[in-house]
Amino acid sequence: MAVEMRLPAALKHICVKTSKSHREEKHLVVPGDVITSDTGFMRGHGTYMDEDRLTASVAGEVERVNKLICVKPLKTRYNGEVGDVVVGRITEVQQKRWKVETNSRLDSLLLLSSVNLPGGELRRRSTQDELAMRDYLQEGDLISAEVQSIFSDGALSLHTRSLKYGKLGQGVLVSVSPSLVKRQKTHFHNLTCGASVILGNNGLIWISPTATREEEEGGGGFHTSLEPVSLSDREVVSRLRNCLLALATHKVSLYDTSLLYCYESSLSHQIKDLMKPEVMEEIVLATRQRLVEHEG
Amino acid sequence: MRDTPLSNCERLFLLQAIQEKKRLDGRQTYDYRNIKILFGTDYGCCIVELGKTRVLCQVSCELVPPKDSRPTEGILYFNLELSPMASPAFESNRQSELLVMLNRQLERCLRNSKCIDTESLCVISGEKVWQIRVDVHVLNHDGNLMDAASIAAISALSHFRRPDVAIQGREVTVFSPEERDPIPLSIYHMPICVSFAFFLQGSYLLVDPCEREERVKDGLLVIAMNKHREICSIQSSGGIMLLKDQVKPVEMLLLVEGEHENHSSERIKPFPVLLCFSSFVLMQRKEGGKFGFAESLPIERITALKRDEAPVEMADVKDTAEEIINRTESSTEVYPPGLKTRERSAASPVLVATGTAQVGEGIVNSWGLEEDEDDEVIIEDKGGGTYNHNCICK
Repeated sequence: MAVEMRLPAALKHICVKTSKSHREEKHLVVPGDVITSDTGFMRGHGTYMDEDRLTASVAGEVERVNKLICVKPLKTRYNGEVGDVVVGRITEVQQKRWKVETNSRLDSLLLLSSVNLPGGELRRRSTQDELAMRDYLQEGDLISAEVQSIFSDGALSLHTRSLKYGKLGQGVLVSVSPSLVKRQKTHFHNLTCGASVILGNNGLIWISPTATREEEEGGGGFHTSLEPVSLSDREVVSRLRNCLLALATHKVSLYDTSLLYCYESSLSHQIKDLMKPEVMEEIVLATRQRLVEHEG
Repeated sequence: MRDTPLSNCERLFLLQAIQEKKRLDGRQTYDYRNIKILFGTDYGCCIVELGKTRVLCQVSCELVPPKDSRPTEGILYFNLELSPMASPAFESNRQSELLVMLNRQLERCLRNSKCIDTESLCVISGEKVWQIRVDVHVLNHDGNLMDAASIAAISALSHFRRPDVAIQGREVTVFSPEERDPIPLSIYHMPICVSFAFFLQGSYLLVDPCEREERVKDGLLVIAMNKHREICSIQSSGGIMLLKDQVKPVEMLLLVEGEHENHSSERIKPFPVLLCFSSFVLMQRKEGGKFGFAESLPIERITALKRDEAPVEMADVKDTAEEIINRTESSTEVYPPGLKTRERSAASPVLVATGTAQVGEGIVNSWGLEEDEDDEVIIEDKGGGTYNHNCICK
């Protein structure tokens, strides 16, 4: 059997030069850093007053909106906003709702009234529907949903009232930090390489092979196909997953363009080589350069 | 904070592996993980490591008035705490079901079995008795807390020494360890809990489940036994119904090797380990050598990447791999240009890549060789980090 040997080498830290028109230097702080001694500012999240000086309590970037200063943490649990797309896993089936785990501080809730009924009917939910809840979503199922509102205690209320949301079928789930997923107009992407990606704002990303047929009408994610996926599709999905992990390790913002560039840079390597740190660094470097050129 | 729920595919994988008699860490069905017992500098302090599960136990004593119903007996007090550092699912000051179950089982195992002679703890009948307090802290949760806790408790109790007392009339003098040697507790026998996890409605069982296996289990059976083949307590939880002939093989398992024809001669390891360990440590102490937790750590050796050896079935790996490859369609992988010059056999499970030294494969040496320049360059080498100094330049 062949044995693979890799020689250790010092990693050179390379900075990708950004164009001048890019926004100014980010103000990064760690817990305990003094942000400002000026008392005229209001303190927002992630800060506290320490003897008249505004100090950061989390590690992240300082954001200033007029007189309000807050620190946006780099690594945190997901804080939901209305309209975000999230990918979550059902943990409990309760009376008229499901509890969904979305990598936030509290479990999110998916009310029975917020899901589409099979066949797309519009009617009041009856006890029959309540008893049939388990047929639709069970513990352990993965769903994609949108944040409808936020309860007073901070828990999110989700809804799947669109055909693109619903139960997820065959694919791969990747978990990254929520701060890496860029907020965009749409989070559902059908990449040209032959896979679909759902970039959940809560850091859970779902990669699946693109469905060739259109979904059954009124299904709304009700039925998941369990047909075996072909090897080429599986390879595309695995490669995308490794690219995502490479980008996440190097803290590159995740959106469809960056993912696509990374995929293209990785084509010269074998899929399993993408897990090696030096290969990861190589493709992320290529991706960042392409992104800078693309912007400039 | 609740633990992240287990995904469906992980659950199915674990159950299927158990059906095929395979465990995550390569153990057999009746194998225990490696047990390490470390004693501290104080008498009565010990840490038990069962694989990655770590439990700390501390025994202390105090003179108190006895209980009214038993004026001539000492008091044993057990307290088990789940520290939040053990698992994200544990919260301090939260009374969870697991905590109650562990406490009750520990009490039943040690107090109801009468392994400690409480009469000898009496100083003045009706007025002063020794209260022995056993505090168990769970430091890391990787499955099977019950066994680790019971081993820690009984080890700490055997290691513990209480101060010597002298009674003159109604006067009690407690001597410090410097004045008079402290006295060990009188322990009749050493009961240890052994946990069996049941899966798929009781059809499969595993000894010493790790944390992942515990998450998919259906039920748990804890039996406390001692060296003399006496069962001190049995507890079944999880709601599965065990038939008598399912429990019997389990009991037989705990007995000395080779007696029951159904099961292999797997003697439960804790018994011999415990008995020699505590005596070994006491010998060390007497000889004036160094002892304590600090001495148990290996010095001047890098242990960060050290893992226990896991036996892996390797006999049919190549055949299985070839079979899998033959079954699937041919791959649509794009190979780097440099490989065109080398022969690639599709059936071989070993894929040759650029820039790696392939030892023993008999392939043409590619170190330092310049291959044909390819016009379709995929990546430009920006002169940044070249990690393999002998890679093929594109």
